[in-house]
Amino acid sequence: MDYFAGVDIGSTMTKVVIVGQEVIASVVRVTRPEQRRLAYFTVNEALRKANLSFEELTYVVATGYGRINVPFADRQLTEISCHARGVASLVPEARTIIDIGGQDCKGIKVAGGKVVGFVMNDKCAAGTGRFLELTASTLGVRVEDIGELALTSRNPVEISSTCTVFAQQEVVSKLAEGVALNDILAGLHQAIASRILSLVNRLGIEPEVVVTGGGAKNIGLVRALERKLGFPIALPPDPLLSGALGAALLGRDLVERARREGSLPTRQERRLEEVKFFA
Amino acid sequence: MAEQKWPDKYPIEGRRGRKYGTVAAMKVAPMVKAAIGGAVEAKRQGKAIAYCFIESIYDEIIRAMDIVPMWTENYAGICGAKRDAQRFIDKADSLGFSRSLCTYATCGLGFDAWREELGEMPPNAPWGGQVKPDVMLSSGQIICDPRNKWYQACQQFMPDVPVYNCAALWPLYEDDLGRHDVEAYYVKYITEDLRGLVRFLEEHLHRRMDWDRLWEVIKLADETTDLHVECRELRKAVPTPMDTGDAMNTMVAQCFLMGTPEAYDFFKELRDELKYKVEHKLGVVPKEKYRLIWPGGLPSWFALTDFNYFWSKGAVFPVESTYHELVYSSKELDLPQTDDPLEHLAWKWIRRQTYWWDKAKKRPGSEPDVEKLITWIEEYKIDGVVIHEAYSCRSWHVGLLWQVNQLSKIYKPIPVLTLKEGKREVAYRELPSLVLESDMIDISSYSEAETRAKIDAFIETLESIKSRRVEA
Repeated sequence: MDYFAGVDIGSTMTKVVIVGQEVIASVVRVTRPEQRRLAYFTVNEALRKANLSFEELTYVVATGYGRINVPFADRQLTEISCHARGVASLVPEARTIIDIGGQDCKGIKVAGGKVVGFVMNDKCAAGTGRFLELTASTLGVRVEDIGELALTSRNPVEISSTCTVFAQQEVVSKLAEGVALNDILAGLHQAIASRILSLVNRLGIEPEVVVTGGGAKNIGLVRALERKLGFPIALPPDPLLSGALGAALLGRDLVERARREGSLPTRQERRLEEVKFFA
Repeated sequence: MAEQKWPDKYPIEGRRGRKYGTVAAMKVAPMVKAAIGGAVEAKRQGKAIAYCFIESIYDEIIRAMDIVPMWTENYAGICGAKRDAQRFIDKADSLGFSRSLCTYATCGLGFDAWREELGEMPPNAPWGGQVKPDVMLSSGQIICDPRNKWYQACQQFMPDVPVYNCAALWPLYEDDLGRHDVEAYYVKYITEDLRGLVRFLEEHLHRRMDWDRLWEVIKLADETTDLHVECRELRKAVPTPMDTGDAMNTMVAQCFLMGTPEAYDFFKELRDELKYKVEHKLGVVPKEKYRLIWPGGLPSWFALTDFNYFWSKGAVFPVESTYHELVYSSKELDLPQTDDPLEHLAWKWIRRQTYWWDKAKKRPGSEPDVEKLITWIEEYKIDGVVIHEAYSCRSWHVGLLWQVNQLSKIYKPIPVLTLKEGKREVAYRELPSLVLESDMIDISSYSEAETRAKIDAFIETLESIKSRRVEA
């Protein structure tokens, strides 16, 4: 039996998935500065859950912005390819993927599980998880709650600025005007949804649209996106894990293809050991 | 990547980064330095200096009249490449010029304001600095507002320096308008515009045009362009012997030195080098995997090493539109005979600008720029498109996004049934595109990590398409 691991080190969360015939273990942890050490601990935890040793892994693929900090990976692939592969296994009819991560937002166009185009917002915090975190902090509510709260609004206010800094200023002035919290949140979610869709629309949005990343866990944002799109969005069972799952599956694809061609996949000399940046 | 067997004729010893780049391109930096430094020295010797824009129409005229050009957009590019543009942009900002203006212009305006304030070059000005001109020759054409307004704005700091705006207009493409229906009118207009330019230069610089000399310069420029076209054709080879990373350097001979023996010799040498490399199958990278097109727009001059990053992934750019879009041989242009050198220049200009019209008419809804790209995508066997949205170059980049969208209507990510020698065949013609975002010289808009992450993802996309084609 072959086992494959996908390690996705995102800007906010680190995710590991181990697959055999199906997913047998997954772990999600908060990303910390010592990413190499974190990768080591998170993979170890996943291996323990799967009751496997590191040597039993046939192939390890690392992805996410911290992918170069996984020294024991056989291959590094970008999160674009990994999200596309992960989503294709969960929602085969997906054509457009919107990944709302901690510090960036991506749109990916797929056909037959393969990437055919992508866009990234990497210049601006608007449209990212960071925007939502800052908003929650300004309003004194938990980030986990803001989506639900936004859905209770009957009178969303208009938030004209999508710049993270200026939007916070606008929120503070709305609060000072006595506008209800849920109305402010609803307005913010609409503004962020517009921002995300204006980016992804460059690809030409086609259903099925799938939302992944931490943003997919915010129901207020998902509904705001659906209202603007005019059709429902599909959500994978655990939207945080799509990238890591895709990484593991791409590892499996690489091995299977190499075997079909009668060769062995390129593997790194690898050891799972704790590596520290700081003494 | 495996090394190529490389001949001693074009040595690569001690070369970093662009290891398999052309030897000719390596000679460009000293040429630019000499041109900039030469202008400073020429000023000292009392020669006439003109602020100029490249790819205008007046290169042969200024050469024939012994006027030394100072290419202002390109001086800003040099400041950018040396990562020293920000202080000049900030200077323009402090004078109230909007940050959303063209950063070439704000860099140049900031430099000029500072130089005029000091009465000498700003401290440590790159390559000796941008010398104060005697005249300024605008040329907005229909592509660019700064090329119309920049020199007028410069007159705030140099009220004694006169400006001539050589409009060099051309007709906009329309479905129901034939190029030959309108070109004579435009040629007449441009010829008169050029006559006005010659009168302006004679009056302000106190010299007479030598018309025989102008014909000689024109002949030399036309022969140089023919050589350049040969280079363009040689780059179609697989593996390609030269890519866009080099072309962003070799443009200097075409854009800065046209009409000089130096430019002719440069392209002759480049042509010979490319010919040799094609014959010996010597490519830009040891193993060429992907062939990309740069469909127009300006690169980030401070990040030309991004092309090396593409190389490290086996990706090359055999063709680009930038600085190549007006390079057509005399034969391709089929220029009418005339005894008037200014009319010859006007015909050359208008035929270059309308070169792709006839082809566009054959595909309803198309445009000349799109036809140019489709032709090159097929002829150069292109796998993908890379564009750079330089935020401050508004006029060029709006059109680029539209062109890429048009291409996506033709190159779709689905199998297409084709007829080849009477047989039905399934062809995959998808052409993925990558949009990089930054600026040509404003380094504050650039992130190397993010740019390279995008390039990585694009290469994976190309790889995935290629593997799907193999499996099909």
